[in-house]
Amino acid sequence: MTQTTGRLIRRMFWRQRRDTALCAAFWSLHQVCEALVPVAIGLVIDQAVGTGSSSAMAWSVLGIFALFTALTMGWRSGFWFLSRAVTEESHQLRMRVVRRVVGGQGIRTRRQSGELLSIATSDTQSAAELLELGTRGVSALVGLTVSTVVLLRIDWSLGLGLVVGVPILVLGLNALGPVVGRRTSAQQQAVGRAAATASDLLRGLRPLRGFGGVDEAVSRYRTASRTSLRAGIGTVKAGATFIGASTFTTGLLITAVAALAGWFALEGRITVGQLITIVGLATFLTDPVLNLADCVFRLATARASAARVAEVLAAPERVPSGTGTAQPGTLTLDTVHAPGLAGVDLAVAPGELLGIVTGETGTADDVTELLAGARSPDRGEVRLAGTPMRELDLVSLRRTVLVEPHGVDLFGSTLREVLQSGDDRDDAALRTAMASACVGDLLADDAGFDRELVDHGLNLSGGQRQRLALTRALLADRPVTVFRDPTTAIDAVTEHAIADGIRAYRSGDGRATVLVTTSAPLLDRCDRVVFLRAGQVAAVGRHRDLLADSSYAEVVLR
Amino acid sequence: MSPSVPILPVATGWVTLTAFWRALRRYPLLAWTSVAAATAASVAAVVVPILLGRLVDLVVAGGTVESLLLTSALILGAGLAAAVLTGAANWLVTEWGMRACADLREEVLDRALRMDAARLESAGSGDVASRVTEDVERVTDSVRLAAGIFTALVTVVITFAGFATLDWRIAAAFLIVFPVYVVSLRRFVPQAKRLYAAEREAAAVRTQSLLNTFTGARTVHAYGMQDRQSRRVEQASRHAVVARLRAVRGFLWFANTMNYAEALGLTAVLLTGFLLVRAGDSTVGDVTAAALLFHRLFGPLGMLLMSFNDIQSAGAALARLVGISGLDVPTTRPAGPVSGWLPTGVTAKSVWHRYPGGPAVVQDVSIEIAAGESLAIVGASGAGKTTLAAILGGVFPAAEGEVWLADRPIGELHPAELRRTVGVVTQEVHVFAGTLADDLRLAAPDASDEDLHAALRLVGADGWATALPDGLSTRVGDGEHPLTAGQAQQVALARIALLDPPVVVLDEASAEAGSAGARQLEQASAALIRGRTAVVVAHRLSQAHTCDRIAVMAHGRIVELGTPDELVAAGGRYAELWSAWRR
Repeated sequence: MTQTTGRLIRRMFWRQRRDTALCAAFWSLHQVCEALVPVAIGLVIDQAVGTGSSSAMAWSVLGIFALFTALTMGWRSGFWFLSRAVTEESHQLRMRVVRRVVGGQGIRTRRQSGELLSIATSDTQSAAELLELGTRGVSALVGLTVSTVVLLRIDWSLGLGLVVGVPILVLGLNALGPVVGRRTSAQQQAVGRAAATASDLLRGLRPLRGFGGVDEAVSRYRTASRTSLRAGIGTVKAGATFIGASTFTTGLLITAVAALAGWFALEGRITVGQLITIVGLATFLTDPVLNLADCVFRLATARASAARVAEVLAAPERVPSGTGTAQPGTLTLDTVHAPGLAGVDLAVAPGELLGIVTGETGTADDVTELLAGARSPDRGEVRLAGTPMRELDLVSLRRTVLVEPHGVDLFGSTLREVLQSGDDRDDAALRTAMASACVGDLLADDAGFDRELVDHGLNLSGGQRQRLALTRALLADRPVTVFRDPTTAIDAVTEHAIADGIRAYRSGDGRATVLVTTSAPLLDRCDRVVFLRAGQVAAVGRHRDLLADSSYAEVVLR
Repeated sequence: MSPSVPILPVATGWVTLTAFWRALRRYPLLAWTSVAAATAASVAAVVVPILLGRLVDLVVAGGTVESLLLTSALILGAGLAAAVLTGAANWLVTEWGMRACADLREEVLDRALRMDAARLESAGSGDVASRVTEDVERVTDSVRLAAGIFTALVTVVITFAGFATLDWRIAAAFLIVFPVYVVSLRRFVPQAKRLYAAEREAAAVRTQSLLNTFTGARTVHAYGMQDRQSRRVEQASRHAVVARLRAVRGFLWFANTMNYAEALGLTAVLLTGFLLVRAGDSTVGDVTAAALLFHRLFGPLGMLLMSFNDIQSAGAALARLVGISGLDVPTTRPAGPVSGWLPTGVTAKSVWHRYPGGPAVVQDVSIEIAAGESLAIVGASGAGKTTLAAILGGVFPAAEGEVWLADRPIGELHPAELRRTVGVVTQEVHVFAGTLADDLRLAAPDASDEDLHAALRLVGADGWATALPDGLSTRVGDGEHPLTAGQAQQVALARIALLDPPVVVLDEASAEAGSAGARQLEQASAALIRGRTAVVVAHRLSQAHTCDRIAVMAHGRIVELGTPDELVAAGGRYAELWSAWRR
């Protein structure tokens, strides 16, 4: 795990090497300029204010503006390159996470989609901020080095003191960091709890009001809010301790340097101007020291984010892809065993409209997943045109077999986009498919196919969404198409029309269609119906003939 | 997101300020200690450069080693004090703000949950949700910032005072930076508002697109459309990148002018010092201290200016929160005496309803449902079934007409009283985060485990509920143990069973449960209806057929009404639906 995280971080820096290097260079320039500001102040006071020379003062003014120009340019350019690197890199990581999750059969992960979302948004961002920590660390070191060199040139003992002292201070602060950090990461979760509770209650507001749970909900939120508050105050105390400690550390540094330099000046080892420079440098030094400490402080959080991203990227495939190219042909289950199936033989021939009926949800799930190649059988084999499905390459398999899931997911912001799943189809084709799925009424307004769908069609009714998914599946026009309960949200009259529509649309050209359903209107149009009971094939025949079997009739008649 | 009508109020600046001030004043002890600590911390921090200036003066004057040591000791003391006080101020100010914020968010959620139904329905839950979650978060986050801002503000004031103790003319020179700041802020703030809003919006679109992709991963796999879908996300994510960089660019311009303002200020201070020293009016040490003081101001001044934008956006969020917390809660009349369980009939008297800006969805519906009778509402989607059911259940009031529960208009009942009488299962199903027992106890906080099991048993859910990894203590809801759509529906019915009201309104969508699950749910609702007055929006005719009477709706009107047998015999719309269903 740490290995993959380390590799992810190294690659991140490698990919953004140009922008991070530029940022580090410009920020180092900025740090040097910042370090030079007190030096410049010292110089101006020594050479102009102290002497009263007007020309020296004029040069001083010019010098200050030149210095600030370099300073602001350095900071701005650095910030620009860094922002570019961080946003670009988090975008890259995000897209890799997305491709990993949607590619092939997806990945095996315990994480829910909400967690994946937070990994794809906040963790990728936080991981990319490692680039910032890196460049800031480098520039702070450069600033420290410059100050040290300046001090070494004035007096070697002061410079040496800095070389030894600063690392000790930073390390001391680091030692404090993890103690504070551990406490905060545990508390951070508690802090978020109030927000999570609020959004949960709000999402359930209508049901909540329906059963009169408002009073109880309010008191629960109060409890969550107070827990969050306590945790929040805990993190604040930890943070405040860190701030206090780092302020004290830098205060100590300033005092030591200033006192020593003052003594040297009194002794005549250095001039007053040099003393002012040293005092100025001492105040500047706080900046890089605090910067370094802060970088280290944030390192753990950013690394944890990078580890989560790496975990998703390295997660194993749910089902590995084979290498054979899928050919259209008969789709068969050969004595297949799965949790809901106890040795099922089944074949879908090209041109056939097959119904599969079962009263058990688990069995229906298993059959659907097996036909999709989304799971492997415990025993037995699923074959397409004679080749075991696990040997087939996923891309070609998806072009041959489509299993439209029962839970409808629509993608896109217009009607046209929602219906397209592969190569773009023309409006006439869209219209025909929509007519077959009886959803032509959505075209009624002027916008036609450009009709805007809010939030990926969430504003449509359940029935409309089901019919759009059906249209999309018809349009995809795969040699084998499997539907799972496609009309559960649709009224009886429309259901009959849809049954006719599916049959007409899929007839001819050797198209095989499977309907996993208990809907009588759909089954009535099937060429053949397979009835599964207790995980085995109980009967095969036409719907009307099977109705004589009372256990079948009980499942399909409502 | 479609632009929604701003039906929820947003407080004005003045109201927001006073409300926030009131919230802060609730903690006088924290308030005074915060102010004291922040002031002391700033004083200590300002003393350090002044003492450093003294040190320079001392050396110039050729003082003794003892006096040098004394000054150094003072510097160390001031540094130590600054450290302790800065830490303390940070903690106190943040705690102060956090407590005020927690009070505010609790008040806001309370009002949001109790908001009068008509307003909630017309505003949509989206606006409320975004206020209670995003705006609360923004204000809470800004509290952390507040500590920094507060101390920065105090530091600026104290430093300015420090200038004045050195020489008032140098202090006056320092003022030159402010006009520059004002001018650049005036240009930056409106631009930043726009840029940051665009950035936030692009990020929201990206999040929506990601969430849609992750929840729909199944479908993407099924179609093998990962390229198409990745491109979609890529587009959204790319937009967010561009918007972010645009915002960065705007900010950089501002930072640039700020740096020049610093250069200008520093020059002014040094130049004044130069003139004063030359005229013999000031010492080199004073000028050194002034220059160092000014240099130390860069940090806090920058902090103040850069957070201007966050302050503004937090202010806007706060105004939206105060807007909600200022809402009146409907009917403050106390609940009537707890009456026993009375059979109750429901009567609708020429009820009309329309959603804001839309056509009438329920038109002139009058119906009388006797105590203990069950009525099924059937009809095509969009016929107004759900709206009518919601009105009958008192979820929101009808635009026109009245609904009576037994002998009282529904609007006159206290919310608590209403819910003791009518339990509504809405079309939206939500599994509340927490344990299954917590979820059920939302409806009946005092219910014993026995009661919970009994309710689950009634709706046929006891089997799977006991079989959960930790039984009733299993954590369910978002990101926890997943419940199927059918199980979630059963939980919704079990809540009503716990509530045990004489009237129930059921508008469950059995669609997502699949055919097998739907039958189970039908049995569950049948068990729940037994012995109660019931209104059932039936999606499956087999369910409607078991009710005492059926109302067929079309275009917002009841077009047929009667017992199932009567309607079938009448050969009208219901008969047609029924025969299609049985085929």
